[in-house]
Amino acid sequence: MALITKDEVRKIAHLSRIGIHEDEVEAITNELEAVLAYAARVNEVACNQQGMLPQNVNVFREDQARPCDAERIKAQGPEVEEDYFVVPAIIEHQ
Amino acid sequence: MNTLSFASIKELRALLEKKELTAEQLLDHCIAQFKEKDGILGSALEVFDKESILKARKEQGILAGIPGILKDNIAQENRTLTCASKILEGFESTFDATASSRLKEEGALLIGRANCDEFAMGSSTETSAYQKTKNPWDTSCVPGGSSGGSAAAVAAGLVPWALGTDTGGSVRQPAAFCGIVGSKPTYGLISRYGLVAYGSSLDQVGIFTRTVYDNALVMSAIAGTDSHDSSTIASTKTDFTRMLDGKLPENCTIGIIENALYAEGMDPEIVAALEQAISVLEKAGATIKKIKMPVLDYSAAVYFIVSRAEAASNLARFDGVRYGLRSKNAKTLEQMYSNTRNEGFGSEVKKRIIIGNYVLSAGHADAYYKKARIVQSMMRQGFIEQFKDCTLLLMPTHPAPAFKFGAFDVDKLQMDLQDYFTCAMNLSGNPAISVPCGFTKNNLPIGFQLVGPHKGEEVMFKVAHAYEQKTPWHKMHPQL
Repeated sequence: MALITKDEVRKIAHLSRIGIHEDEVEAITNELEAVLAYAARVNEVACNQQGMLPQNVNVFREDQARPCDAERIKAQGPEVEEDYFVVPAIIEHQ
Repeated sequence: MNTLSFASIKELRALLEKKELTAEQLLDHCIAQFKEKDGILGSALEVFDKESILKARKEQGILAGIPGILKDNIAQENRTLTCASKILEGFESTFDATASSRLKEEGALLIGRANCDEFAMGSSTETSAYQKTKNPWDTSCVPGGSSGGSAAAVAAGLVPWALGTDTGGSVRQPAAFCGIVGSKPTYGLISRYGLVAYGSSLDQVGIFTRTVYDNALVMSAIAGTDSHDSSTIASTKTDFTRMLDGKLPENCTIGIIENALYAEGMDPEIVAALEQAISVLEKAGATIKKIKMPVLDYSAAVYFIVSRAEAASNLARFDGVRYGLRSKNAKTLEQMYSNTRNEGFGSEVKKRIIIGNYVLSAGHADAYYKKARIVQSMMRQGFIEQFKDCTLLLMPTHPAPAFKFGAFDVDKLQMDLQDYFTCAMNLSGNPAISVPCGFTKNNLPIGFQLVGPHKGEEVMFKVAHAYEQKTPWHKMHPQL
């Protein structure tokens, strides 16, 4: 059985907000199948017990306000009006 | 001027201190080298103008007046930052990464942006949206990746040091392909503040130089706790060069990971070069212990899952709203997201995001992501066990020498498996360094890896340095 189907590729691409073309779907599915088939070998060795995971801990600090030139940050926006980033309509006009 | 091109940082510092060379002359020389050679090599996406480089210059520090180049996923204030992706074309960073600011504090001159695989995803620098980078030893071959531009620039003598990033081997593999030294520190030793994230539990800034001493010196400039990166470990400023006396540490035991060295598909020339390196260490007084770590045979599989899962989350931020590319072909917000990401990302990045979201999705997370995390913990435990008896571990960096452009266009899985020997230490958080140990009969460089215990950089550099002092490889340079 295939590990990933074309429909799953379409669905995950949509959820990932990546608009892939229909003529790419087959090639992408085949490549992902090869990667997943390789990755699935983790099941051969994984025991049911988790061993030593990273010992890193969250480090907290107070928020610090730092000066920053808002105009420069806004200037990077594809479309900006006053203090807002402009985006297309969320709902399509009929 | 060839002697200046391949001079080590140590030698350049001596010339600067004796006033036989000025920082400006050295900078002029490096900029001229890029003009002369980088048309062929393609290592830099940009070399900055001299005036702007000198404006940020600090006169003092352990890297005072020494030029270098940063991979284009590390932020430099007021410089373009693209990750070699169209989606960030024209984006300008408003701040310095901690690595960048610490280098400047120590007097280093940051002279450009190095090419790399798009968002550091690849092993050949071929996924860059902008240009190909060539291997200075054979321009029909790739320099490795993802930090291929950084590696090629240092190997070709354009700069004495460069920074890259290493998520699964992206500093060590190109270092080996280009015949130079490449290190990845313990997870958390070098701040990632200002590094564009790919796989956050794996990403580390890494260092390219032509000698071990120089590598330790650059590490000394940038390592240490940073309040802007909560994943940094507690560490004070360290001089990583202080123990480099050309000798092995006392009672030095090197564990040879046999299932790696003799793995299926290893190029016999590389095996022979590593066996030679082992005998050099043994003659220098090291005890050689043959070991097996079967769990490492699964590291690439674990890495595929964990890295893609984290990439899918990290790259969600590139949506065309606040910066970078925005698709012009969109009526609605959702179309704008989808089209921007389709037009802005290259195919390798898109595939990794889709795989990542797949292995994290309901119904698949148990079989992939959760199992991968368990095997990751087994690997971590496995290293801890080995370091009870071994000072360092030794294994290949790469199974085969640098390959031709397009070699894996059809069988992309083989490209992904370039990380086979390197990604284990990203998953376990251990430091590792790739050191040159010879050439194939086609004159392509070979490297091997030394792996240290957590925070074991000093002993790792010490052994690597002792090996280097007994071998000629770091003195051999390509002719472009």
